[in-house]
Amino acid sequence: MTFDLKRVLESKKALRRKLAARPVGEKLAMLDALRERALALREAGDHLRHSTVHEAPEKYRPVQNKEKHPKR
Amino acid sequence: MSSISQVIAMINRLEADGIVERYAIGGAVGATFYLEPVATLDVDIFVTSRPEPEKALLSLQPIYDYLTARGGIIEGEYIVIAGWPVQFLPSAGTLVEEALTNAVTVQVEGIPARVFTAEHLAAVALQTGRAKDKARLLQFVESGAIDAGHFKAILNRHGLDNQWREFERTFLSGAK
Repeated sequence: MTFDLKRVLESKKALRRKLAARPVGEKLAMLDALRERALALREAGDHLRHSTVHEAPEKYRPVQNKEKHPKR
Repeated sequence: MSSISQVIAMINRLEADGIVERYAIGGAVGATFYLEPVATLDVDIFVTSRPEPEKALLSLQPIYDYLTARGGIIEGEYIVIAGWPVQFLPSAGTLVEEALTNAVTVQVEGIPARVFTAEHLAAVALQTGRAKDKARLLQFVESGAIDAGHFKAILNRHGLDNQWREFERTFLSGAK
């Protein structure tokens, strides 16, 4: 473990290379897991947004981007 | 078998049964064949179909009919297969047409999957030009997954040289 940014960046690059070199079937299975995680984070974000007290009234808040994909 | 493999198996059947003439996987799922996996929420499938004589535009209805009869669920612009929202994109423009023609077949857990070449995925990302497409293009460049000569020839054929110069100037100047 190090706080040397150069070494941190190198290790990130190495991890990316290692992941890229995995068999395609394994990488596609990772996409399944990543998607589950992304959806869970998105749902948590939605919950947080709706449970927060806002200073600005609803109509003056920035419009959220529409969902690109249907929710489960 | 992963859920995406199930999607691929279904799309293979769709093609084998003649509902589409040819398909190829693009987008983030396509990029995963060459790069490290990056989170995505949907699967982009590019398709060509046999033109119906009385219709100028390609209809996706036969695809939707076929897949809903086999358990697919339509949700907006997507059809959900094995839990994944799948978007069918008709080949529009010469670059995507060429990408479909040159797509390669890769075996995934014993299932053949047709996917755009790395160079075509990178060129389509450059042409599409959203922030996430630029990020994907950078991944391709940094990983060395694309053949520079082949990539530049594609850009030249499809009038993307200026966009590439701008991309290089913005993101790659000074890069080691």
